[in-house]
Amino acid sequence: MEMSERYRRRPGLPWREEPEAARDALAALEEGRDAGGDGTLLVVERGRITELNILGGEIWKLCDGTRDVGAIVEELLPRFEVGREELESDVGEFLADLVARGWVVPA
Amino acid sequence: MSAPDKIYSAPLLVNWSLNYSCNFSCEHCYSRFEKAEELPADQVLEAGRRLARAGVLFANFGGGEPLLRRDLLPVSRELSAQGLSLSMNSNGWLLDEAAAAGLRDAGFVSVGLSLDSHRPEVHDRFRNRPGSFDRVVAAAGHLVRAGVKLTISTVVCRINHQELTPLLELAKRLGAAQVYLHNFKCSGKGMEHRFELDLEPLEWRDFYREALAFAANPSYPEISFDDPILASLGARDAEHGIPGSTCGKLSLHLRPNGDITPCGFIPLVLGNILRDDLPTLWRESPVLEQMRHKTAKGKCTACGHYAACLGGCTARAFAVSGDLNAPDPHCWENPCG
Repeated sequence: MEMSERYRRRPGLPWREEPEAARDALAALEEGRDAGGDGTLLVVERGRITELNILGGEIWKLCDGTRDVGAIVEELLPRFEVGREELESDVGEFLADLVARGWVVPA
Repeated sequence: MSAPDKIYSAPLLVNWSLNYSCNFSCEHCYSRFEKAEELPADQVLEAGRRLARAGVLFANFGGGEPLLRRDLLPVSRELSAQGLSLSMNSNGWLLDEAAAAGLRDAGFVSVGLSLDSHRPEVHDRFRNRPGSFDRVVAAAGHLVRAGVKLTISTVVCRINHQELTPLLELAKRLGAAQVYLHNFKCSGKGMEHRFELDLEPLEWRDFYREALAFAANPSYPEISFDDPILASLGARDAEHGIPGSTCGKLSLHLRPNGDITPCGFIPLVLGNILRDDLPTLWRESPVLEQMRHKTAKGKCTACGHYAACLGGCTARAFAVSGDLNAPDPHCWENPCG
């Protein structure tokens, strides 16, 4: 995935954040604890609920079409204890999956 | 005790009876005897704002016949703008070309039409309205031509349980994307006509076996059931992954006056959307707590499927026994026998 590509969430695809779960996961991250894999954001398509974990949820929220993949990585880098290369890889893989599902579209 | 895997922060779906008034008088209607004042448009919008703020994503209008509300389209447009994904169920009588276009423009993602038989005379007799079959078929055409996703809603009962194939063929010809096979509920007129219309447990089993075979056949519209007793056929509702009834776990119901009930078939009022804080009710309602932590009773105590079905449909159990934990009367399992 090119760092200069931009994506936005598919219009009309229902989703919402789970505020308490997101708060807990972010607090865990700030304290250097494992944020766990619990869903902090839900995407619902054709009656099927998909839970995104805290990293997936944060990437999802940043897919508003205003920033490219590189900018998403830059925003997340200080918030997650992970090296740039690994984060670029995680973000790229996750976005490729969202593209394959049709949940994000090129902006 | 058994608990669902997870309870989210708010319902995802609200089944919303905007009105109980109806131009039909169907034999199985759950709401025909219900009476509740209808909220005026401004209060419907306030209710919608509260739902959206709580995180509800979907509102499905039923009733009653939603198209009898003269303000349905302007109200729906605003509710869509508030972020709710809208759908509705209709008998189709009033759904002409202009109404179909209006529903599309108001943001309806899908519209369900009630169709109980492929045979016009059977549908008309069940709906107590001559000509209703022709009108609903015409309505389906209007929706498809307007580009609105069409769902066919069928209440499975004695008049149609052995005629699934022609019904699905008709749904396919009409352009339906989905067929919703509603299990018969013992509420309202459904309770009154229960012994004529409801199936015996073994008939339910046979019906579901046949329907599940169709569900695996991609040449037919998608089939939805939402009946927890399917778990004993190894066919859990995999889309949402929640064991047992989804009422009170993923969804709630609003009456026309804003009263909140767990579902349209359980007449226990938890609060009112305009008076009470929805997230608090969702978290703290003793009734929801009971529905989410059911205790096996009767034959369920010895049943190996209980963890997946949690006693089946809570509404049906409650309707016939007054006990939320009672076994679903449709269940064909006989673990002691």
